Amino acid sequence: MRESRLMQLQYATAAAALVLVAVHLLMQGVLVPYSTAISFDRVLAVYKDGVDVSLLEILLIVVVAHGFNGVRIILLELRQTRSWTTWVSRGALIAAAGTIAYGTRTILLAVLGAPS
Amino acid sequence: MDTLLRVQRFEPTVDRAPKTQEYSVPFRDGMTVLDAILYVKDYVDHSLAVRFSCRQASCGSCGMKINGVPRLACYTQVADVGGREVTVSPMDNFPIVRDLVTDLTGFFEKHKEVIPHVVRRDSAEMESPTSDYLMKPEDLERILQFTYCIKCGLCTSSCPTVATDSLYPGPQALAQAYRYTMDVRDEGGAERFKVLDSAHGVFRCHYAGSCSAVCPKGVDPALGIQLLKRHVMSAKPPRGPGEGARTSKP
Ligand code: SF4
Ligand code: FES
Repeated sequence: MRESRLMQLQYATAAAALVLVAVHLLMQGVLVPYSTAISFDRVLAVYKDGVDVSLLEILLIVVVAHGFNGVRIILLELRQTRSWTTWVSRGALIAAAGTIAYGTRTILLAVLGAPS
Repeated sequence: MDTLLRVQRFEPTVDRAPKTQEYSVPFRDGMTVLDAILYVKDYVDHSLAVRFSCRQASCGSCGMKINGVPRLACYTQVADVGGREVTVSPMDNFPIVRDLVTDLTGFFEKHKEVIPHVVRRDSAEMESPTSDYLMKPEDLERILQFTYCIKCGLCTSSCPTVATDSLYPGPQALAQAYRYTMDVRDEGGAERFKVLDSAHGVFRCHYAGSCSAVCPKGVDPALGIQLLKRHVMSAKPPRGPGEGARTSKP
């Protein structure tokens, strides 16, 4: 992918993460007191609510994409060889995809219920 | 009154590490740092290595750190940097050839990589011109300040990204990439995009702004780089030779 597109993604996910993390924190301690927010029933209720769970999934994708692209950029500045550039880019992509898959699995298990 | 001139000396084939040597130079009004160095070279120590040519801030040869700041030695008066004590050392981010002389080979290679000239595909017209390529004043205004670059390397020596990323083109090359990419006569965008829109291209600039702070010719490379980022991000990369020119002959 063109570097300019990756940087567009970086700026867009930064802006989106600001909004989403702010909403997340509001619901985890400001509007809803922290002790209530992390109570078992409340957490389950979040996973049962379509809007809440969608926001969680989007937050996951946005933060992971931003974070791993950021790590890719930092690693690119650490060393400069063609193979390092290639492997750092591939590694970041695989790590991001894996983290999103794992996080999505966790969300799905909570939504659908763990297999017995 | 004498000026105490401290010079970093280093001969890579002989010395393990740079050392500082001190010289006393008779001060006179209007004396530049280059004058002080040349006084030492002429009357005290012929072995001192320094590069210079025009002595009037035109050739870009005499870049060095003066009291820690990248400057042109011929364009910096001793009185303006304290007068009594001046410390000179070679520019950062360049290999040292000897003493104050740095190797600019890599710098010019990167300059060449961005194709620093107007590219035209109408070769028949270039061979036998029939008329002028016209440019509107506002088109010239957009790139004018970047044409003042004398390739002294001071901006590159001050750049923290150049210090860490050996493939990064650096502020001088990127400012020139902007200058030629935005030239309405140019058709070289496709080749330039390969360098600019790469993993070590224009987006590795962290906007420290030190390049613009040290430029002796009033060029603002940091501005050129930000404008170039915007252009690369918003423009479709030209697909092939011949695309990109916004002017043609009447
Ligand atoms: S932009 Fe300024 S500091 Fe950089 S090489 Fe050109 S003249 Fe020197
Ligand atoms: S000697 Fe030419 S710029 Fe200083």
